Amino acid sequence: MEKLTIKDIPLEEYTITPGSACQGCGPALAARLVFKALGDKVIRHGVPSCPDSVTRTPHTFSVFESAGAALTGISRALKVLGRDDVLAVGFIGDGGTYDIGFQALSAAAERNEDILWFCKNNEAYMNTGIQRSSATPLYAWTTTTQVGPRGRGKETPRKNLPFIVAAHHVPYVATASIAFPTDLIGKVLHAKRLRGFRFIDILCPCPTGWRFDPSRTIEVARLAVQTGMWALYEIIDGREFRLTYKPKKLKPVEEYLRIQGRFRHLTDGEIEEIQRMVDENWERLLKLDEEGEFPL
Amino acid sequence: MTVEVMVGNKAAATGAKLSRVQVAVAFPVTPQTTIVEYLNEFITKGEMDCEFINVEGELSAQVVVQAASRIGARTFCCTSGPGCLYMHHPMHDTSSLRLPVVMAVVHRGNKGMQPDHTDLMSHIMTGWIQWYVENNQEVLDSIIMAYRVAEDMRVRIPIAVGYDGYILSYTAEPVDVPEQEEVDDFLPPYKPTPSLMPEDFDPKAPLWWRVPWEEHHKVIVDAKEVIKEVNEEFGKRFGRSYGNGLVEEYRCEDAEAVIVAMGTIASTARDAIDNLKAEGKPIGLVKLKCLVPFPYEDFQRIGSEVRAIGMIDRNVCLGVGGVGHTFIRNAIYDLEERPKVLGFHAGLAGKEVKVSDIERMAEKVLKAARGESVSPLVEWV
Repeated sequence: MEKLTIKDIPLEEYTITPGSACQGCGPALAARLVFKALGDKVIRHGVPSCPDSVTRTPHTFSVFESAGAALTGISRALKVLGRDDVLAVGFIGDGGTYDIGFQALSAAAERNEDILWFCKNNEAYMNTGIQRSSATPLYAWTTTTQVGPRGRGKETPRKNLPFIVAAHHVPYVATASIAFPTDLIGKVLHAKRLRGFRFIDILCPCPTGWRFDPSRTIEVARLAVQTGMWALYEIIDGREFRLTYKPKKLKPVEEYLRIQGRFRHLTDGEIEEIQRMVDENWERLLKLDEEGEFPL
Repeated sequence: MTVEVMVGNKAAATGAKLSRVQVAVAFPVTPQTTIVEYLNEFITKGEMDCEFINVEGELSAQVVVQAASRIGARTFCCTSGPGCLYMHHPMHDTSSLRLPVVMAVVHRGNKGMQPDHTDLMSHIMTGWIQWYVENNQEVLDSIIMAYRVAEDMRVRIPIAVGYDGYILSYTAEPVDVPEQEEVDDFLPPYKPTPSLMPEDFDPKAPLWWRVPWEEHHKVIVDAKEVIKEVNEEFGKRFGRSYGNGLVEEYRCEDAEAVIVAMGTIASTARDAIDNLKAEGKPIGLVKLKCLVPFPYEDFQRIGSEVRAIGMIDRNVCLGVGGVGHTFIRNAIYDLEERPKVLGFHAGLAGKEVKVSDIERMAEKVLKAARGESVSPLVEWV
């Protein structure tokens, strides 16, 4: 990734505000940062999702399950028309990436299509009203993983999609966060200069779905990273692994969980269970970072 | 022009090649598979300058051509039976966004591998123009004509060219292959409207969005005139045309009754009609090529000229009836004097339809035309 300071972030705006996003919308900020870094030679593709990413660039849409195929069509048509200067960019929610769009994503990655795929990951189907996705974390409340005598929220941890995409041996896979804009934009600028399939999974808190005050979006996003709930890293060619944010000590996950209504029901035991999972995962990531190698 | 003996699938691939397709996509499914192989061969040999994408399924195939067409490439895809059904969801948008995609559908029913028209007919409500063709020459010619119709600014609607699996897909017939220059003259390059390139893009322009239902319907209905025009011009340039582009009447002069057939059954019916004409029987054949948009005007005219019509449907809309039968009855309802319209289901799941079967159906229709009593029930042949 490119090393940047906050002063290097481009001033040009490519998203149109005000959009129709909720107050404190994480994905809207992700769109603002990503499209600043990409510039104006972009065709943005979307599938059904929250209307949080209105850009001044040309844009297309297609059915929910099809982002990988549509981006393929855009990219190949640009190639055959001799327009390699225009980027085919997907700005797709976690439903369209992790779940219903997964088949077409995997196929496009395997073919190493020349596309940039951003997952604006808010960890559930927010556009239809907070239903769980396979990006929803363990024990999170959603309207389809409710809490009551027979339910403790989502029963399983989320899918490790960035690793799955990296296992396709594509040129670039990274995770990012809206609370770390220089890290995010550094990754976008690096990805922009490569060719082939590039994937950046951006954690974007959703105040409406995660149940926290809209003024705290950045704080929640920052704590996700500082607690190790969402680690920042990049994987190059499915081979090289590097953590891009490495605090000396992680903050306790409780700080992140307790400020969100979707985790309000958690017992101390459940928080401990999540803490153990995060600690184990962090140890593993540190080891990968030290060796510099992606294990698949 | 050169004559080459080729199977239906090669005729389809050759039609795409002559049309200078720029992005071709397919997922293999019997009996369409060899189209994919022929295209790959043409491209690998350098005979065709085209991006070919081996996608992971038909739904993605449909979306790739949809997106590429929107950016500005001429696109082709092909499928059969189950693959055709799997494409259903994005097919709506290809039409709603008015993208001139052309697709070959090698018919395969959903109760086995053998052909019937239920695959493509399951898509009647997707807003695709649907043609059902009769032989390998018509496969090749129709694909070229389809691009000309689909890309016409008055139309901009995708077209499916359907032909019977096995009966044509793997059967070789002599086909006149037009010269590339002749096709180039007939078919100018495709330009998307509006352009989506960043330098042309106006963020204040209305969104390119799904066309509303009423306008969408009218565009497809009005496409009939363009189809007729293109068919006529094709005839002038290449010396072959197919009826008026929507229906083709065969030996209908002085007919008191007609048989209506689609796809390869129309070929078999030509022999049956010849035999019956030789016996002096007043019957003709109407080949129904264009099912969507439905040629109501043609059937109103034919309906006012004959006393009975017999529709042979290689399909069934379960719980409703034959698609052709239902549509023809709808077309003739407003006539002052209506002919009898008899229905037959034949050739479903690839069941053989013999000349003698059609002669027998024709005799029943003639009987109705003479005013004799026949069972009004639709018959399964």
